[in-house]
Amino acid sequence: MVTNSRAQRRRREASLGYLLLLPAVTVFAVFIFYPFLRNFQLGFYLNPPFPNLPKRWVGFDQYRDILGSDSFVDSLKTTIAFAFLTVPAGIALGMALAVAANRKLKGIGIYRTIFSSTVATSVAVAAVIFSMLFNPIVGLLPWLGVNPTPPIIENPDLALGAVALVTVWQTLGLTFILLSAGLQAIPEDLYEAAALDGAGATTRFWRVTLPMLSPTLFFAVVIGSIHAFQSFGQIDIITNGGPFKRTNVLTYSIYSELTTANHAANPGKAAVLAIALFVITLGLTLIQMRVLERRVHYAR
Amino acid sequence: MGRVLLQGVTKKFGDVTAVDHLDLEVSDREFLVLLGPSGCGKSTALRMIAGLEELTEGTITIGDRVVNDIEPKDRDLAMVFQSYALYPHLSVRKNIEFPLRTRGVPKDERAAQVESAAESLGLADLLDRKPGQLSGGQRQRVALARAIVRDPEAFLMDEPLSNLDAKLRVQTRAELVELQQRLEATVIYVTHDQVEAMTMGDRIAIMKDGVLQQVGPPQEVYERPTNLFVARFIGTPPMNTIPGALAGIGPDTVIGVRPEHLQVGAPTDDGIDATVAVIESLGHERHVICRLADATMVIVRQATEIVPPAMGDSVRLRYDDAHAHRFDAATEQRVG
Ligand SMILES: Nc1ncnc2c1ncn2[C@@H]1O[C@H](COP(=O)(O)OP(=O)(O)OP(=O)(O)O)[C@@H](O)[C@H]1O
Ligand SMILES: [Mg+2]
Repeated sequence: MVTNSRAQRRRREASLGYLLLLPAVTVFAVFIFYPFLRNFQLGFYLNPPFPNLPKRWVGFDQYRDILGSDSFVDSLKTTIAFAFLTVPAGIALGMALAVAANRKLKGIGIYRTIFSSTVATSVAVAAVIFSMLFNPIVGLLPWLGVNPTPPIIENPDLALGAVALVTVWQTLGLTFILLSAGLQAIPEDLYEAAALDGAGATTRFWRVTLPMLSPTLFFAVVIGSIHAFQSFGQIDIITNGGPFKRTNVLTYSIYSELTTANHAANPGKAAVLAIALFVITLGLTLIQMRVLERRVHYAR
Repeated sequence: MGRVLLQGVTKKFGDVTAVDHLDLEVSDREFLVLLGPSGCGKSTALRMIAGLEELTEGTITIGDRVVNDIEPKDRDLAMVFQSYALYPHLSVRKNIEFPLRTRGVPKDERAAQVESAAESLGLADLLDRKPGQLSGGQRQRVALARAIVRDPEAFLMDEPLSNLDAKLRVQTRAELVELQQRLEATVIYVTHDQVEAMTMGDRIAIMKDGVLQQVGPPQEVYERPTNLFVARFIGTPPMNTIPGALAGIGPDTVIGVRPEHLQVGAPTDDGIDATVAVIESLGHERHVICRLADATMVIVRQATEIVPPAMGDSVRLRYDDAHAHRFDAATEQRVG
């Protein structure tokens, strides 16, 4: 009897568990799992150059053609460059702010709020703000009396940097919060011990703060890189992938294949690019985990 | 020159006065214990010596230097924290080596000094472990090794044994004293455990509410406590305090008698009326806890050979006047 009722109870608990899981699973299924699988399927079909003609099954040929093409390689290079422009700078800046704000001073809360405020802005807002600043007619630069020609966002050498700047600014709040939390988790007595052990402020930073913060830094690097590889809004709003495709990162190239401005939408090609982006992001995460984990010191 | 001198040292945290005009001189090679109940300002005093806390008032001199405005790193001290404060990301070897590295000691010298410090604390086999892989006692020894690897002006220790179990604590206590004598080191040792203070200190400084109560060798503090607080704080079980009215000498005086100096006599004997409340047997001795007429509890320490009274017995308690301490009932200060 006892075991019977216990089994019953367990079964009842399990069904309740599944029931509670259902809404989340449904949402995931509709918005993640299905599109994810459908994407693979789309990638096997070659879309015709004109709408309304039938699609043709080409299997992996399409992957080979697209991933081997110059346009893909260029876009990939741009994306990597974008990540290198945003992640290290973002973390260095976030670190500087977090260290600066991590002291017991009157009114430090105001600075903490300001430094973390960009989490409350969306990419679109950030992009619009910076578009205004960069604007060659009404922007900040002409107001300061500087008039670069061509304007920054039309300059092939500066456009990517400009978009990267927006991204660094927009993600700074999150990086700041992450690193601040990491800093506050470092026990005060380690600094005190280090001070008595003869370490000045600089040595304490390199020998205590940085190694103790490495798990957080590792996390910030992973998050930042993934974020960089998935950035889209600021590019769409500020540069549209231009000039001369200099800001045509992978996400934007996927989007271009689906817009019908210059050519018929090509969901097949877009799907292949999306999968490429997925694989790259996944691989990146795995590599970072492998490489960084070995150097990360987890506290106790 | 490991002398440490505190003159009028005061620390206020807002309204709280953690340390109040503390005057204290610790001589070279002395083992001084700062003793007092929780919250009396021991740690704060030690942290001011270390430079981790600013002084509100007063001066601190280490060796021949006034160190008030000298950073912790330049005070030439070594500290053992209650929490040990080991660097969790560094191996035991690197932890011990840390103070040498920051001071630019050459590599092979460092290695030799680490070896010898580790050797003297029995850590030779653990050098490549991380602190997270050590037991509490081992961590405590690493913290000690990190302190003794150098030859500083003085060692500061903040309850370094409080995280150890009773057995390990007794053992480490002895090891610490031995180490201090071998290194001829000046040690300032903070504890709230009076047994530690009695057994380890050359002198004991007892604090209460930020104020220094008495400084002296353990035996002196034990035999001539300057006030009731010290009298009750030093010794286990604590000194009994008997209202003067009950002892037949008037209400202005309080008599203090240590448990070993009280005897239980028959109700017909001379002495103070009492009732036996509880009898505790500790194996090697016995505590007879009695209630006086005004409900004051007193403890009598008895050898096991003596025939014990029974619980509820009416008895008379006697003591030799030579062993009675007299305190002013109002000021609680020693008289005579
Ligand atoms: N940073 C601080 N801010 C405010 N008050 C403090 C601070 N540090 C200590 N105090 C107060 O100062 C008093 C003395 O504290 P301290 O830590 O020196 O006591 P302690 O004798 O070491 O006690 P324990 O045996 O519990 O460690 C306490 O009342 C404490 O609350
Ligand atoms: Mg303390």
